[in-house]
Formats: sequence, C-alpha cells, structure tokens
Amino acid sequence: MSTVLEQIEQQIAKLSTKAVKKNTGNIRTIADGVAKIDGLSDVMYNEMVAFPGGAIGIALNLEESEVGCVILGDVSQLKEGDEVQTTGKLLSVPVGKALLGRVVDALGNPADGKGPIDSKETYPVERIAPGIMARKSVNQPLFTGIMAIDSMIPIGRGQRELIIGDRGTGKTTIAIDTIINQAKINKVGLASGDAKFRPVYSIYVAIGQKSSNVVRTVAALEAAGALEFTVIVAATAADNPANQYIAPYSGAAIGEWFMENGMDALIVYDDLSKHAVAYRQISLILKRPSGREAYPGDVFYLHSRLLERAARLDGKGSLTALPIIETLAGDVSAYIPTNVISITDGQIFLETDLFNQGIRPAVSVGLSVSRVGSSAQIKATKQVGGKLKGELAQFRELAAFAQFGSDLDAKTKAQLDRGARIVELFKQPAFSPSPIELQVSVLFAMQKGFFDPIDAKKVVVAAANMKNFFTTRKDALLTEIRTKAALDKDLEAKLQAACDDWKSGYTA
Amino acid sequence: MAAAAKQIQLLARQLFKLSVVDGVVSPDRVAGVLQYIEKSAPAHSVLALKAYRRLIATELAKSEALVEHAGAVTAPALGAIATSMTQKYGRPITTATRANPKLLAGLRVRVGDDVYESSVSSQLATLSVSV
Repeated sequence: MSTVLEQIEQQIAKLSTKAVKKNTGNIRTIADGVAKIDGLSDVMYNEMVAFPGGAIGIALNLEESEVGCVILGDVSQLKEGDEVQTTGKLLSVPVGKALLGRVVDALGNPADGKGPIDSKETYPVERIAPGIMARKSVNQPLFTGIMAIDSMIPIGRGQRELIIGDRGTGKTTIAIDTIINQAKINKVGLASGDAKFRPVYSIYVAIGQKSSNVVRTVAALEAAGALEFTVIVAATAADNPANQYIAPYSGAAIGEWFMENGMDALIVYDDLSKHAVAYRQISLILKRPSGREAYPGDVFYLHSRLLERAARLDGKGSLTALPIIETLAGDVSAYIPTNVISITDGQIFLETDLFNQGIRPAVSVGLSVSRVGSSAQIKATKQVGGKLKGELAQFRELAAFAQFGSDLDAKTKAQLDRGARIVELFKQPAFSPSPIELQVSVLFAMQKGFFDPIDAKKVVVAAANMKNFFTTRKDALLTEIRTKAALDKDLEAKLQAACDDWKSGYTA
Repeated sequence: MAAAAKQIQLLARQLFKLSVVDGVVSPDRVAGVLQYIEKSAPAHSVLALKAYRRLIATELAKSEALVEHAGAVTAPALGAIATSMTQKYGRPITTATRANPKLLAGLRVRVGDDVYESSVSSQLATLSVSV
C-alpha cells in the first residue's frame, strides 16, 4: 500500500513546476544526414543534440554563426525550422556481456529482433586512448587459427594488425576465422576449469557492408558456435554516413569495457576504407577544407585515435584490433592504406594473384609483417616455425630464377621442393581454423621431412589426413603440447613417434 | 561562389558591429546602415542584407524574453520575469507575450537560444520518454 503511494508521490515530484532550462536552435539546412543549425550557443564539441522525433545528432562543426551536426537515425521526418536542443551529454553506447551474441546498430540499439538488451552500463563513444604508463608490452599470443599467420606473422593481445588486400581476396574470411578460433579456444579453456584461462571476446564492426554480407557473417559465426562470444556492430551501406562514421568508435567502446574490466577482447573493423569514405562525405557536406583525394585534413587522426584505443593495459585486460583496408589493384601506396599501415603494428597483405592460383589464405609472405614479432608466439611455434619465413622467401626467389633454366643443382632443387610443400601446407579452407597444438604438430612433421616423399600436389590431402589422425588418435599428445606450450626432448620424441605412426598408416 | 559567400558574411558582420552600441542594437545605427546600403548598393546587397538581418534578429532575441503562456499572465509576473532575466544575463531584458494553448498550462520563456519551460506539455513529454 505504502509502496504504491510512494510511487505516486515520486511521479508527482517529477511533475513539479520547477522550470527546466534548455539551449535550443533551429535547423537552417539539412542534407544527406547533416544539418546546419542556427542557435545552440551553449553546445559543446561532440555533444549529443536532440532532434524532433527522437533522432540524435552530434555537433561536429562549431562555427561563428551556425553549428554543423551529423544526424544518427531517421532524417526523413526532419525539416527546415525544426527546433533542436542540446543534451549536455556525449554520445554513449551500452556495454557489457549482455551484448554478446547480439547484432546492434551504431548506437548500440538491437538490430537482430531478439528484444531489448539488458545492459546496465554505458561508455562514451569517443574516448581518449590509454596513456603510455597504463600500457604493457604485447607478449601474449592471440591465435588466429591460420597456420600461415600464427607461424610467420604472429599477433599478440593488444596489437593492431592490419588486414589489407584487393576486393575478394579473403580479408573478411581471415577476420571471421580468427573470431571462430577465439570461440573454440574459449570453449576448451572454460571447459578445462583452468582459473588462469582468459577468454577472448570478439567484436565485429561492419562499416558500409552490404546487409547480405552481414547476414552471411552472422550465419557463419552462428554455425561455428562463435556468436555467443561475439558482438556485431552493423552500420551497413543502407545506413547514413553518420552511422557508418560512428560505428567503429561504438565498437571500440564496447571492446574497451572488456579491457577495462580485466578481460581480453578482439575487434575487427571491416572496413576502414569505407569508413574514410563515409567521413569524407560528411566532411564535404560540412564544407570542411578537403585535401588529397578530397579527404579532409584530419583523416589520419580519424583512424589513429581509433586504433590507439587498442592496447594491453597493465593490471587489466587487452583490446586487439584487426582493421581491414581494401586496396585498388594492389596499390598499398594509396592515401588511406599508407595512413593505416603507419598506424598499425604490422599488416597481413593478401594478393589477388595468390588467391587466383588457389593459395588460400592468399597471404603474401614478403609484404606481410608483424612488428610485435616472435614475442607474441609460444615457444613451441618458434621451435618448429622459426625459419619458415626465411625458407619461403628463399623459395620465392629461387622459383623466379628457376623459371629461366632447367639445370638446377641438388641443393636448389631441395629448397624448391621444400618451399612448394610449405606453400601447400599453408593452404587452409575458410572457417576452419586449426588449434595451435595441431599447427605445431604439422609443422614439426614438415621440419622432420615427413612430407618430403609425398608429391607436392598431394600435401594438402596428407596434411588434412595428419590433422585428422592427431585429433582422433593423439588427443593426449595435443593436450600436452597445448599445456606445455614448448617442445622438450620428451615431447619431441612423442611427436616423432606419433608422426612415424601416421606415416606407417598413410598411403598417398 | 565560396569567395562571394565569404565576402557577404564579412560585410554583414561589419554592418552588424556598426549597429551595436554598448552591447545593444541601436535603431539609429540600423537606419544609418540601411541608408548606406541603399546609396552604395554593394555587390550581392540582398544576400548581405539577409545575413545582416539574421545577425540583428539573433542579437535582439538576446534582449527580449518571449513569454509563451497557456492561461493569463499578470503584469507583476511579467515584471518579475524581466527583472530576473536582466539579473541573470547582465543586460536589460524586456518581455513580450504570446499565447500558446499547446502548453496546456504553465509558461515557456525564451531568451535568445535559452528556453526556460515549466509547462504541463513538457512534463507530459518527459513522462512519456521515461515510461
């Protein structure tokens, strides 16, 4: 009884006659999701502005006589003269574990029809990146499950590794594989009951993608059982440029929550080329001065401030970023690609030629690099794959020369044979990441020459057979490799014995 | 075109500065500015006058409290509003009234960009958002 009365009294108190102060303005012009507003004399930079009908804007241009706002949401109902008001707040999005398994828009609103998101916290979309003292060096691996990457271009927790390549070269596939691999590792780790295990949660930000592609990605993650560890932020090609501009920052805010709360997270920005294009559109409509390729002067800062938010924090968690950039005709020296290359801690370059030759993932070993290097690798990988990059580079060089002559000495021929087998070994189908222990086992077999007698064209089948053999019959050995993370003499002997066992039963 | 727009804005701002004396728009100065425009007929004079008008209107709105009301407003209440706003903004503010039945009950006072509202309609709007 008293509770009911209290509720009514609270409602009366809310309806008190106290005057509320608002700072207002009027829409002067509106076009392509950008409004010019008269008034709003108290507005702050990046402040949320309330438009009629529930639309939200962000004040981006504070000029002497007008304010330029980008509008997030439906602009079809807005017209010249409409009153807008300041909110005194910065744009924020819901964060937390309640978002896992959900598809949200750039503002964190559910976009998957699964009902409201029960999130108790919000984080501002724009935040200053962690400072120098708060950071810790990157030395914990983040396994992608792709053998070519984990063995030669290792990624660490808190690193920013760019995935770059032409359209249709498998950039998104690498990112999705990585997300699926995190889910697989999470499941194994959580089931093991290891108190020290740190799961990696993933955030996939789709910027300017076709809606059908986003649906395909969601379906792939769901089919692989990875959606429960993933948040998808979608600002598709149908969304206005303002939403596409803000989406990566929203994703970063969601990832930062995991990092700040002692967890590890991975964020994929797919892709920053379209993000730059959306920002260019907004900037041109806002009449900001344009520079090279009509991009505004602060397009570098657009991406640097975003990617600097990925970090490994001392005493807390980490946020690993995998930005994606689409090149035109393999031109990595274009404006946006060079910007992002210089910001990130390395790049995975995918080549159209390799892709068309059937080498998938089409990772160009020569142009790909991880600046964190082997400090983000477990010892076992270093032991079996330390020389791989050099061997492959030698192979490419020799293969180019070998095209001109047929008389080759034995050593050169052996190097070519070895290189051709490594290339075949690194072929991997989409959405089937390999656990690191399995990668170590296969690379060990390769180093010990178990694939040498097999015809190069049949190495893929043999490797698949070997993986199957290890998974089904040598599970204890794989677990031992995973837990020890290094190959001692005893483990090497066991691996040798297991490979012998496989060889005896395998017929090419 | 961009250069012309800049020139128009510059001229409008110069004319506006000439029209303000001690932070208040002077009608005499405004008349003088209009005479000057008529005589000299600068390029894009219509656009310059429109920009000038906007600046003057914005400035005038800062010195006037527009009181929107649903019911009757007494003269002492208007006087109290004028006194309170003059004190708040540190410049002389006069009041003007306008009936607005959409407020249902209460008042809405606008001084420049600032709006002070204590009306039933705004309370209902707040309630509808919170429910």
